[in-house]
Amino acid sequence: MMKIKRRNNLLVESPASATSDIAFILIIFFLVCASVQPEDGQKQSLPKSEDQPDKKQQSENPEVAISRNSIILNGNPLKPEKFRTEIKKVLAQKKRDVDKVVVVKSKPDTPYEIWIEAAGFIKEAGGIITLQLEEQQTQMVN
Amino acid sequence: MNIPRRKYEATVPSMAMGDIAFLLLIFFVILARVQDDSHIQWEPAKLENLDTAKNAKASVAIDADNKLYLNGKPIGLSDLAPQISDILGEAPAGKRMVFLKVHKHATATYFEPVIEAISEAGGDLMHVLDDARKK
Repeated sequence: MMKIKRRNNLLVESPASATSDIAFILIIFFLVCASVQPEDGQKQSLPKSEDQPDKKQQSENPEVAISRNSIILNGNPLKPEKFRTEIKKVLAQKKRDVDKVVVVKSKPDTPYEIWIEAAGFIKEAGGIITLQLEEQQTQMVN
Repeated sequence: MNIPRRKYEATVPSMAMGDIAFLLLIFFVILARVQDDSHIQWEPAKLENLDTAKNAKASVAIDADNKLYLNGKPIGLSDLAPQISDILGEAPAGKRMVFLKVHKHATATYFEPVIEAISEAGGDLMHVLDDARKK
């Protein structure tokens, strides 16, 4: 009886060349995931220090005081929707950019969601917000 | 007499390619995690007519506990402006975007000085918000 020789040419090594392709595709996937995620939001133009209105100019700029319960425009307390229309009227009269700077003062307990709503109305009306922070006071204790 | 030459098989070692690629993969994943701020607990305020932007140079966040973060790392208010300034470097106007993520219930005591610090560093500020029209 004749013996038939078996061929021993079977591939015993795993095909390593494919792993690099898989890994590179994974790299591209992670990079794309990390970089192309846009965010929604509102841009805010911040006036530079040289553009800050001086004291005399500031008195002519609209002043908005925001607190937890109210928005006050030039001393008049308004509801948010009324404020939206009033700030548009006030800023429509201003022709120069420097006059469109709106001085915003906030009470320390003003929540961000109320502040950003008012800021949105000011931006919509074409205003540029400048913040007036509460001045720090030094008290001498005897 | 002819001496037969030995034949050498010249193949590119493809095993190493996989290792290099995996190291690169780990490198990029770690790099992405460094700037990640997904662990911060905050809820955005809602507003209509939002802009869209990407590729911010820095991301500043105030979480639900009023803690301040720069690119996902806790930071003090006094260090914020200098560090943003360092990150922005000499980038031209229009490429100095800084995202501001503020928890909707955070008060002016916390977010106003942060806005001032971003302004001081010369950043283009963008408040990250939720679209009020989305459900």
